Amino acid sequence: MPSTCLPTTNMLSGLMGKPGLAAALPDDRDARDLRWSRLMAAAQAGDRRAYEDLLRECLPLLRQICRARLRDATEAEDAVQDTLLTIHRARASYDASRPFRPWLIAITERRALDRIRARGRRSGREAALDLAAELPAPEASADAALGANRAAARLRDAMQELPESQRTALGLTKLQDLTLQEASARSGMSIGAIKVATHRAVQTLRRRLTGKE
Amino acid sequence: MQSEDLIHCLADNLRPVRPARPPGAAAALWLGLAIAVIIGAVLFLGLRRDLAERLVSGFEAPQLVTALATGVLAAFAAFQLALPDRSRLWALLPLPAALGWLATMGWGCLQDFVKIGPEALHIGVSLPCFSFILGLGLPLTMVMLRLSRHGAWFSPGPVAALGGLSAAAIASLGLSLIHHLDAALMVLIWHGLSVLVVTAIAAKLGPRVMRLARSGE
Repeated sequence: MPSTCLPTTNMLSGLMGKPGLAAALPDDRDARDLRWSRLMAAAQAGDRRAYEDLLRECLPLLRQICRARLRDATEAEDAVQDTLLTIHRARASYDASRPFRPWLIAITERRALDRIRARGRRSGREAALDLAAELPAPEASADAALGANRAAARLRDAMQELPESQRTALGLTKLQDLTLQEASARSGMSIGAIKVATHRAVQTLRRRLTGKE
Repeated sequence: MQSEDLIHCLADNLRPVRPARPPGAAAALWLGLAIAVIIGAVLFLGLRRDLAERLVSGFEAPQLVTALATGVLAAFAAFQLALPDRSRLWALLPLPAALGWLATMGWGCLQDFVKIGPEALHIGVSLPCFSFILGLGLPLTMVMLRLSRHGAWFSPGPVAALGGLSAAAIASLGLSLIHHLDAALMVLIWHGLSVLVVTAIAAKLGPRVMRLARSGE
């Protein structure tokens, strides 16, 4: 049973696109990996300076991985920030007796993959909307128009009943389609808070409008 | 917010954390606790009278050994999967033991059928079995979810399901030491059903429990 799932040297040389670099990596990587491992151990003990140094040093690698997976620069940067948040929340899961880089790369790969999946879901919804545009206009049927108006009114009422933070987060991320950073800058809420508030808002609306969890 | 600013915020809000136990140590801790609970149940309810006889006859031993192996391997796999840098193939670790466990129960049914005939296929209701495995399995699953809460960010569903399987297998083992069920088909159905229910509940609700355990820190 393998203990790790990531052949890091091959992957990094592939990411960097420089054949000569892979050969030069091992010594450099070992020293850097040890340094990162020590910084993370210090961060687990509460050393803020070590933690900030570590994350800043890791940032180029995170960007490299995310940009290799996600073509869109904004989306790649969102994945980098998701990765930073996950590293922060899951920092206790790092075992200082093991190499740091496989742990870091595994988290980054997963968050980038999450972004790719989310993009797939979004494009699926966009396709569904395109199909919907080919259907007869709602005005063609008075009943359909009435039903649509009622549904819109119910949605508006349900949104009005949401707590202020959830309404704001939902409006910025889903209605105005802003990125998490933009929504965060506009509202003054942290990215984590935006995510949580949006998720809760969607859950609440789903419960109120469909009666399902 | 720029990523550099986010790093600054995260560093500003840093609090010390206790590193997670390595999977072997975490599994040993959890299994020690689970076995202590089973020993407590045996002391409280007493060993079944025919256990020694059944073990000597070789009828019960393979079933107990495979149940224990399923519990141990599922626990170890759950703690491996809770860490981000481990292969997802760990999820398959308890599969051979679980299949072996099913096979020993199936073999028992076949032996009963040869010995007793069609009457061996009579299915009754054994709610005590069901409630014992759920009653011990679900609290043990909660302990497992608490210990493997770091997996909330990586593979919460598989970690929780493996935790439930491990807890249910250990509870089933405890039940086999206490409760007398003659017909192998009854054992297969009631133990099997109870283990499935605990595993399914863990897979469905476990990820939420893990997130709650994380948010309380």
